[in-house]
Amino acid sequence: MIRLQLKPLTSLKDAQAQLQTAIGVEFGTLPPYLYALYSIKPGTNAEAAQRIKSVVLQEMIHMCLACNILNALGGAPKLQPQSYPGPLPGDIGPNGTPLTLHLYAFSSDAMAQAMAIEQPEKVPDFPVVHAEAALAAQAKAVTIGEFYAALDAFLAKLPASDWHKGRNQIVDDQFFAGQVFAVNGYPDARQAIHDIVSEGEGAKDDPLDFQHDIAHFYRFGEIFHGKVLTKADNPLHYSWGPAKFPVDWAGAYPAITDPGLHDFSHEPPAAQAAQKACDAAYAALVDALQAAVTGHDGTLGQAVRAMFDLRIAALHAFTVPLADPARVAGPAFRYKHS
Amino acid sequence: MSVLETPRIFLKGEMSWDPITTNNYDTNYDEDTDKPIFPKAADKVKAFRTQAINQVVPAGNWNPHGTHRVASYDAGVSAVDLGAGVVKNDPFVAAAIQFTGMLVDLEPFGATSSQIYFDGMTFGIDGGYRILAPRTSRFTARYINFARNTVNKMIAGVASAVWQTSFAKSDGLRVDAFDSPALQALAKALAGADVLGLTVRLNVYRTIYYDNPALRNGSPATKQAGEALVAKLQGGGFQPNPARSHLVGVIGLWRKGEPAHEPGDRALCPAGQSPLGSAYARLDAKALTLDLSNSVSEVTEDLKKQDLGPLTVVAVDPATQARTPLGTFKYGDYDRAAYEASAGIVTLPLAAGAAKAAGDKDLQLRDASGTVLLAEQAVRAIPETPNLYLDEGESKTATFQVYERGSPKAAALPVTLYKMSPDGSKVANTLPMKTDPNGVLSVPVVGTTGAVFPYVPVLANGDPPPAGGIDTQANTYMYVRILPADGDIGLMPPTWDNVYANVLANWNALAPCMDNWLMLDDPAQVKQYAAVLKRLTDPARFESFRFMPVTRDMTKGERTLLYNYLDAPAEALAAAAAAKPAPLSRNLAALSRAMRRPPPGA
Repeated sequence: MIRLQLKPLTSLKDAQAQLQTAIGVEFGTLPPYLYALYSIKPGTNAEAAQRIKSVVLQEMIHMCLACNILNALGGAPKLQPQSYPGPLPGDIGPNGTPLTLHLYAFSSDAMAQAMAIEQPEKVPDFPVVHAEAALAAQAKAVTIGEFYAALDAFLAKLPASDWHKGRNQIVDDQFFAGQVFAVNGYPDARQAIHDIVSEGEGAKDDPLDFQHDIAHFYRFGEIFHGKVLTKADNPLHYSWGPAKFPVDWAGAYPAITDPGLHDFSHEPPAAQAAQKACDAAYAALVDALQAAVTGHDGTLGQAVRAMFDLRIAALHAFTVPLADPARVAGPAFRYKHS
Repeated sequence: MSVLETPRIFLKGEMSWDPITTNNYDTNYDEDTDKPIFPKAADKVKAFRTQAINQVVPAGNWNPHGTHRVASYDAGVSAVDLGAGVVKNDPFVAAAIQFTGMLVDLEPFGATSSQIYFDGMTFGIDGGYRILAPRTSRFTARYINFARNTVNKMIAGVASAVWQTSFAKSDGLRVDAFDSPALQALAKALAGADVLGLTVRLNVYRTIYYDNPALRNGSPATKQAGEALVAKLQGGGFQPNPARSHLVGVIGLWRKGEPAHEPGDRALCPAGQSPLGSAYARLDAKALTLDLSNSVSEVTEDLKKQDLGPLTVVAVDPATQARTPLGTFKYGDYDRAAYEASAGIVTLPLAAGAAKAAGDKDLQLRDASGTVLLAEQAVRAIPETPNLYLDEGESKTATFQVYERGSPKAAALPVTLYKMSPDGSKVANTLPMKTDPNGVLSVPVVGTTGAVFPYVPVLANGDPPPAGGIDTQANTYMYVRILPADGDIGLMPPTWDNVYANVLANWNALAPCMDNWLMLDDPAQVKQYAAVLKRLTDPARFESFRFMPVTRDMTKGERTLLYNYLDAPAEALAAAAAAKPAPLSRNLAALSRAMRRPPPGA
């Protein structure tokens, strides 16, 4: 379970720092999800792949929205590539131990990890209504939803002069129709935070998000349980199943976990080349995204192209045998230019 | 008939359109040969792509990096009507529409043969309230209303269109009703023996470009937007520029005998200089239901509907011209709020016996002064296949069903079939024909050479011939596209040079978006994805969302050469590369025609 460190918010700078953490969280979830997605063999697990892909796209959108808020507050988003295995930025865990994210191929482990990332707080141990009280106290460990709620509460109090209309905003004119919008003031920021939290965790006591689709935790849950989350006549109003969600765990490439820890120097040249291509593609993606979130015209289109390039490189890597011919390796998501 | 019955489900939302526009120009593409017209250059693909970008500002080529993808967004169920009026308290209301398809114009240069290929449509979600609708047939656009939104003079922004398709129960249509009265009623109605499934009818309007509703054709702001797009395109990456539309729509029953792809209801067409677009009507014992979704214009930028005052539907005896009023409705019944609430469908209560009395009368819509705005076209012939593809050398039989006042007409009737010029503007040939006793007109279509043309059927006792071209508000029509055989290409040695130059280069030039998925100029990648390419280009998957090429213009010869290349082992390819090239015996007439269209600047 992710528990983010919520520091007291007393200044615009604090809010900017918290938004930077949020951006890091959204960005940092992408590699584990993409590793699982790309490891699915063609012709298998179409429904599961679609579920994971839908979450990936929404995480990209959430990252863009968080960047829009930070840009509107005069900040400068920084996309900091992380190492895997490793924790998300700001994660201190529920008991002082952060969740270490691994790059798992499509598997129940990968889905369990994804659920842990997206898990909503069912027991309101740090309810939103107490968020402001928390501000004056020392740093606390909160869910992603509570983290955003505290941020929202602080942003609501900022004067209009702190908001910069039209500054480095990403909008939906090319991609993500209807889902990415400019943040020009607090009402837009509030909407963005609402969308991010709703899609990630769902509404309180309701697994549906604001678009009446199921939130991320439950999308992964359907894959994990192999059951469709279904309306039911019980006190919780839902049940896992009875309808099956089709999952074939064998329909994934036999990929090693955490290729970033693997020593490729003894692997076949083709595997080394595949890793190098993935590293370069990922670095190009990070560079293009960094330009896009800092107001460089046309670079979102370059980032999307880079995303497709990374996909092609990753799909290839998952087909290249290692020295152990029964194993392959997907992208390590290393920021490393060739 | 159809969606004009209850129960029905109303839809409202937005649609994103991302077609490649480069093939909309006869200077870039030859729709008879199905080939791009390459500039003279050493690297013809690069030159073609550059030319497309250079056309953005001066020629209005607004989306060289399109993907043809269409997607609904912010779209969902807005209300339901179970027969007692429009309500929003059903739990199915607000369920989202999940729809992604590929927009393809059979005739790329015009706007009257658009269609959307897709795999399925979902309203709601798995595990919750849901209509799951696997595709039976593609969406088809008809009744293009070019006067819908004349304020929005930006590319096709003035127009609206009726998009319709139907989903057969036998194709896996499923309703998960739970405790939704609307879905329960729909599921119950679907069980009827004469119900084939569900019809979805959308009206799409107020299309904007460059994500800016203020842009107008030729304005400085439009030029500026175009220049900004060019800068993006020249900067590299993937730079689509989708258009956006509003949509309203309705889901209702699809009964036996009803056309799947366009309204089969009683058709009311514009009369004289009417400001209205066509409408569709149904008479029940207790109500007259009028579909005005494509009719009333928006007259301001904020989409205020034209106020024509109170409007009255009358039934006119064709023999005596005696008029019987059926009902009157006011502006508040068809203004913007009403339109968006019930997708332009207006329901009027009928006096006892009125429907029966009007059964053999012509319906008219009149304003308060008595001016006829819409008049019923009582008899018309609707094609079973609105957009027909075939290969050169292939023969198919196209059929049209004659309808009289919304019902199939079982009678042998004379029909004049007009074969039109490719753009539908002129009559090219007149064919006197006759239906069978069931009112079915069968037309043999023979693929003699690559061509595009529409057929317009006119009943002998019906409307005048389409001498001025297809009237999209009044004429029914079928578009035909014959793909040339390209037999000479199919006989070429399957070398990389041949397959690239004669097959893959065409789409590498026209569809730069392909760089996202596969580098068509990279023989290693093409070979690596051979199985996928064969699967996606398999003619058996022609209706599929992922069929390639999306534009459905790969000829048999091109496919043969491509498959020969993909299937050949490496050593065979080496041998083919070393062999002498086969003599070229192209269709000289087609080549001659192509040469009459020099590239720009030549």
